[in-house]
Amino acid sequence: MTYWLLNAVFLAIVALLAVAAVATHRAPRWRAIAITTGILLVMTAVFDNVMISVGLVGYSPDAISGAFIGVAPLEDFAYAVAAVVALPCLWTLLGKRTSASPDIRPASEDNRA
Amino acid sequence: MIILYLLALLISLTGMVVLDRRFSLFFWRDARRAAIVLAAGVVFFLVWDLFGVGLGIFFRGETDFMTGLLIAPEVPVEEVFFLTLLCYLTMNVYGALTRSSLRASASASASASASASAGTAARHRANSDGSHA
Repeated sequence: MTYWLLNAVFLAIVALLAVAAVATHRAPRWRAIAITTGILLVMTAVFDNVMISVGLVGYSPDAISGAFIGVAPLEDFAYAVAAVVALPCLWTLLGKRTSASPDIRPASEDNRA
Repeated sequence: MIILYLLALLISLTGMVVLDRRFSLFFWRDARRAAIVLAAGVVFFLVWDLFGVGLGIFFRGETDFMTGLLIAPEVPVEEVFFLTLLCYLTMNVYGALTRSSLRASASASASASASASAGTAARHRANSDGSHA
């Protein structure tokens, strides 16, 4: 099994979580997720390259696609993508039950602040 | 040197906790939810790791920067702290971006401390005036 195929399985679980969050009117703030994604991808590119360069982890050449950012396999970035989607979705799914749409709830927080 | 990677992770995690506490981003926003999200995230990524190792996709490097303590074949104890850091960082950034009151409370506390020091200065002046009288 290749690294991409393994990632596909776990990213599918992440996608299911996102669908569940949207379906239950507990969608996370997608704009915040987009910005978080940018930050996490840059940090992953930097630190994954350091971690691989100093020899903390190795990869089987047969299992990876051969696409790299520096010395980091592109597949490694799936972890960051999964984190920035799955964790905020779980966070909102665990939030208080509300009949209001998630776009309205933060607005009321604004008013209180 | 075998403690170096673990030490770097612990220092980074400490930074996450400090920021979380200062700006109420994750655990200081909702401790119950944060505990569940963090635990679920770390377990999820550990299972991902175990499949990656089990399928022979990646493996622990031979390096002097790690303790050599393993929680499973080819999974160093450092990986637990790395995944914790990944999850904590993600939720701190998301928390900072979604906490609409963050800027308001920060400026409020800044002005509060400013007025507090102004008050202190006023009291000092009053005291020194009093001592002169």
